[in-house]
Amino acid sequence: MKRILLSAFLGIAIISGLLSCKSGEEKNETAPAESASDKTATGPVEGDWLIYHLSAEPATLNPITATDAYEGIITGGNVYETLVKRDNATLELKPLLAESWTISDDKLTYTFKIREGIKWQDGVPFTADDIVYSYKTIMDPKVDAPQLRSYYQEIKDVEAIDEHTVKFTYARPYFLALEFCGGIPIVPRHIFEKGDFNTNPAGRAPVGTGPFRFVKWTTGREIVLEKNPDYWGEKPHINKIVFRIITDPSVALQVLKREELDVASLTPIQWEMQTGSPDFEKNFDKFSYYTPNYSYIGWNSARPFFSDKRVRRAMTHLVNRELILNKIMFDLGAVVTNPFYINSPEYDKDIKPIPYDPARAKSLLEEAGWTDHDGDGIRDKDGVKFAFEFLIPGGSETGEKIATILKEELDKMGIKMDIRKTEWAVFTTRLNERKFDAVTLAWSMGVESDPYQIWSSTQAESGSNFVGFKNAEADRLIEQARQEFDRQKRIELYRKFSEIVNDQQPYTFLFCRKATVAVAKRFENVTVYPLGVDPIEWYVPQELHRYAE
Amino acid sequence: MRDYIIKRLVLLIPTLLGITIITFFIIQLAPGNPVERKLQLEEGIKSEAITKEIVEETKRLYGLDKPIYVRYWIWLKQIATLDFGRSYKDHRPVIDKIAERLPITITLNFISIVLIYLTAIPIGVYAAVRHGTAGERASTFLLFILYSIPSFWMAMILIFFLGGGEYWNVFPVYGILSPGAENYPFPEKAVNFLWHIVLPVFCLTYGSLAYLSRFQKGSLLEVLREDYVRTASAKGLPRHKVILKHALRNALIPIITILAGILPAMIGGSVIIETIFSIPGIGQLGFESVLARDYPMIMAIATISAFLTLIGILISDLVYVLVDPRISFGGRR
Repeated sequence: MKRILLSAFLGIAIISGLLSCKSGEEKNETAPAESASDKTATGPVEGDWLIYHLSAEPATLNPITATDAYEGIITGGNVYETLVKRDNATLELKPLLAESWTISDDKLTYTFKIREGIKWQDGVPFTADDIVYSYKTIMDPKVDAPQLRSYYQEIKDVEAIDEHTVKFTYARPYFLALEFCGGIPIVPRHIFEKGDFNTNPAGRAPVGTGPFRFVKWTTGREIVLEKNPDYWGEKPHINKIVFRIITDPSVALQVLKREELDVASLTPIQWEMQTGSPDFEKNFDKFSYYTPNYSYIGWNSARPFFSDKRVRRAMTHLVNRELILNKIMFDLGAVVTNPFYINSPEYDKDIKPIPYDPARAKSLLEEAGWTDHDGDGIRDKDGVKFAFEFLIPGGSETGEKIATILKEELDKMGIKMDIRKTEWAVFTTRLNERKFDAVTLAWSMGVESDPYQIWSSTQAESGSNFVGFKNAEADRLIEQARQEFDRQKRIELYRKFSEIVNDQQPYTFLFCRKATVAVAKRFENVTVYPLGVDPIEWYVPQELHRYAE
Repeated sequence: MRDYIIKRLVLLIPTLLGITIITFFIIQLAPGNPVERKLQLEEGIKSEAITKEIVEETKRLYGLDKPIYVRYWIWLKQIATLDFGRSYKDHRPVIDKIAERLPITITLNFISIVLIYLTAIPIGVYAAVRHGTAGERASTFLLFILYSIPSFWMAMILIFFLGGGEYWNVFPVYGILSPGAENYPFPEKAVNFLWHIVLPVFCLTYGSLAYLSRFQKGSLLEVLREDYVRTASAKGLPRHKVILKHALRNALIPIITILAGILPAMIGGSVIIETIFSIPGIGQLGFESVLARDYPMIMAIATISAFLTLIGILISDLVYVLVDPRISFGGRR
């Protein structure tokens, strides 16, 4: 639910956000909302349950080995907590399990002071040892956590100074270090050190320090949490959260309409066409908000036609983004121009989207030497035909529609494009091996993200920079920003970087997609935050209670 | 008879071995691998060298660092002790994961198969006997339409109109029990369960029902044209006796052939129906395992299915002998 840190942790993980309607793939499911009715003067009421839709079952509820978004939705901030978290409203990092922290002048050591009196949900005190243990576990090659290990490579050492003080030492200064070490998943040592970590039963029955504790997990059906009466912080008002697994989005909407779900993500078409009835509006509020993500078309610069920035720019001129946004996504999103979170100051709003303009595209192609020399209706240059394959992951309806629209545009332009759809496993393999011409995909990132992973030339051979973007100036700006702790200065560096990316067009940036969600009207105190809603604050007026033991 | 069964059972072993070798190699040589899936192209603060290192470590963890024939040998040795290994996805024993989903899949399929046979055979007989009448034409036409409707579409229509929300609220539309029904007393729990599976069972049944009854009609019509049937009628036997006693017995033979495929189908599950109705069965599990390249899981399901198919073929061969005096064990190689 509160996936605020975790999405930073996942760093940049591919999501099929643009590409499918799977609600669970969203990194953050809940939505900011104005309280539907006036706040009652009596204050929050205790009781009732929240029934939350999950579109698939998590593999595990072990925060260290989990790779899907569902684990974070269920346990993140509810069962398991971290040293620091992002504030719902300001998105600034603020204390959680840690009451304070100090950063050394050389920006290499981070010392966290842990709150006194915090206990694991089984009554055992929470100490700095648990944090050291969690770090060592993540770095252990026998533990199935390769996706996390890469984030902590730069840590030289983690030590418990005393029961309530822990010190992280970095090899190099890094501006995201606080978020990374302050957001490290922490598990109870006394439970997990027994036996093999990967197979520990606590992976299916988590014990954390958070406001909710685990009750049960019925395979394929539901996962239930209940209020933790001994919680150290401000206790939630809702007695239980039930995560109900419904694998088909249309069925989920039907169940929502039957009022057997309280919170569910909506697909764009459901948002637009299927949730407008007076009945629905009587029972539910609909919310939409921007999570940190963007979709794009990536042009493989190793291909003769895409090695020329004029051609890449021409391609962008041929993608009618406004039309796609309006017709396919029902305006649930915004066209973006650079790789930062649209609601963060790093995002450069001064860069205007390159307009849809086939005439301009045509002259750019001519200028770059791609004309039809042999009169077969397909442009060519130096004996190479402008014919390529557009790779989309299976199950990606939006990707498919975009590809079809683009294909039609390119046909008129004398460029041959074939659409190739492959299942996800094959898709990622082809990206890793650079066996593609053009691809459409979406990235989701943290509130503050580091372009290094995708744009540094060091990542062009086998990292996430699979379009092969190499630019010395961009590399310099990225490196400089990584060690710049003054956010304002970092923003300036990133603006310059964004201009380079806009000029080079290694990607045709598409959209930042809005997450969409419906919330039952009986909940009060539902507040809008940039990244979603926080059910911990919600309550239900006594007369509207629906569930009890 | 006994010798024949023993011989066939001994032959099972090399056949099964062959099937597992082919499956193992095809799956592991297919593009995509579980390590890349796990890493999902993620990068942290790290160099290329570290990326490679992490990939190698993970391959070692999953035992994928050894050559493929060694991996197969290891897998085979495990299987010999009925150990199917652990799933890459959550490190739980594969057999546990199958066991927790098997009962629901078997129940659904068993009910569906029984229904198919109980209805398809009478309908087929009726259509053969009344061949050419208006009633037969109408039923054939209806079955033909049913056969043409894809099950996912049917499922969505049923859910939409009978699943509450906007129209009639007759049936539950997801899962196998209402929330909280685990604690009901047994009879209520059973009713609740049956109520939940009406729609999925219907969707699993109608297509095969149409197919099988057409099949039954065809084979019975063929038998009715045989000389011995004419002889029986000429001797003055009542028509229903001729059909049910003499003709039907022979007309059932093709139907028995189809039975061979039923055992594996019992545990196969239907990905589409299970996904639409959120039923945690084997179909879903198998499909997800293939997408995630969860090799131990895929191999376990494939091996169990192969084994059941072979047993199914054996059983149908035995049943042939029981119903058809022209076939005997001695005469078959």
